[in-house]
Amino acid sequence: MFNFAFDNLNSFFYMDGHGIYVWSVFFIVIISTSLMFIFYKNELRKIRKKIIDE
Amino acid sequence: MYPYILYFSVLFYAFALVWGLGFAPADYVQGNSFRIIYLHVPASFLSQSLYIVMAIAAGIFLIWKVKLAAYMIKSIAPVGALVTFIALISGSIWGIPTWGTWWQWDARITSTLILFIMYLGLISLHSSFTNFEKADKFISVLVLIGFVNIPIIKKSVDWWSTLHQPASITLTNKPSIDPTMLYPLIFSMIGFSGIIVSLIILSSKVHIFKRESHKSWVKRNV
Amino acid sequence: MNNLRRKRLLSVVALVFTSFLGVFLILKALNSNLDYFYTPSEMINIEIPDKKRVKLGGMVQEDSVKRNGTNISFKITDFNHSIDVSYNGVVPDLFKEGSGIVAYGLIVDEILIAEDIFAKHDENYMPPTIEISKK
Repeated sequence: MFNFAFDNLNSFFYMDGHGIYVWSVFFIVIISTSLMFIFYKNELRKIRKKIIDE
Repeated sequence: MYPYILYFSVLFYAFALVWGLGFAPADYVQGNSFRIIYLHVPASFLSQSLYIVMAIAAGIFLIWKVKLAAYMIKSIAPVGALVTFIALISGSIWGIPTWGTWWQWDARITSTLILFIMYLGLISLHSSFTNFEKADKFISVLVLIGFVNIPIIKKSVDWWSTLHQPASITLTNKPSIDPTMLYPLIFSMIGFSGIIVSLIILSSKVHIFKRESHKSWVKRNV
Repeated sequence: MNNLRRKRLLSVVALVFTSFLGVFLILKALNSNLDYFYTPSEMINIEIPDKKRVKLGGMVQEDSVKRNGTNISFKITDFNHSIDVSYNGVVPDLFKEGSGIVAYGLIVDEILIAEDIFAKHDENYMPPTIEISKK
């Protein structure tokens, strides 16, 4: 269960031709989730500033 | 508390993904493309569970008028839209190497698209109201009406013929997925859920501060 | 629980119940129209209008696949009935005898002339080594 399923890092990225699908999903998940965190962090900063200014 | 949940979940999710994408064996039919399961299933699971949480909050708000429940609906909706978007797009990409198509109008895919549209509708409706109290009430009623879609999504693969396969993990039967592939899946579901919960904590902070900005306790806590 | 809250609870229950009832009545009326494909047994029993494209789903029958250049013909079966399918093009990677398949196209002289072939896969996931040892 804890053996690396690939011979080397190259085949890990290539995944017998399926790497393009797996890694594009991977990046979509990471990027879209991070963007939402950044969006809300920004909103929170704006509101904090507004409340302090009042 | 929020940063600890987030850091812990990120570590947990990263561990699960390294396990699933790098160490779990390839599937006997799908080969390596099956590894998308570790990204697709957690998002699909959350797209439905977050709606259930919203529906419970809507009920609590309508019956007991708990304001916090109404804020929860508003904080969850955009995050729900995000995970449903991830579920749809990861499913589409997974469909290309396995099914040979990225989109088909089968009952599972269509009902999930309806869920996505419902999340978007809830977000845009809320911002179209000028009276917040009216908006909260109206949105809660809509959330409860739309709740009917959840059992439909869940059972779509059993009630009708679909391109999407039936569930691999159910409450009643032994999982039809090998343990070496199942454990990292469960870990990735826990990890991703933790990340999404911290995102909701963050978004609810934003909404509560926005709506209660004139209250003295908010000013103290800023 | 006071009277007002009980009233609200009842209206919430009524709301959810009405929406469930309404939608389930609609689904019942639509019933098989929501199916993604017909099985061979269903297809034999229904009247298909001329020039209406249909989706047929089932298993690729063992020993039925014949290739001729880029053309491929096979039978789709549900183990009760089977229907001949002819297709010109590249089949999905998961296409093989005994695997789930959906073919989309016109029925001409009892043969489905497929324009698209989609592979179905089941809910089972396992490593290749276990699959071999089970055989």
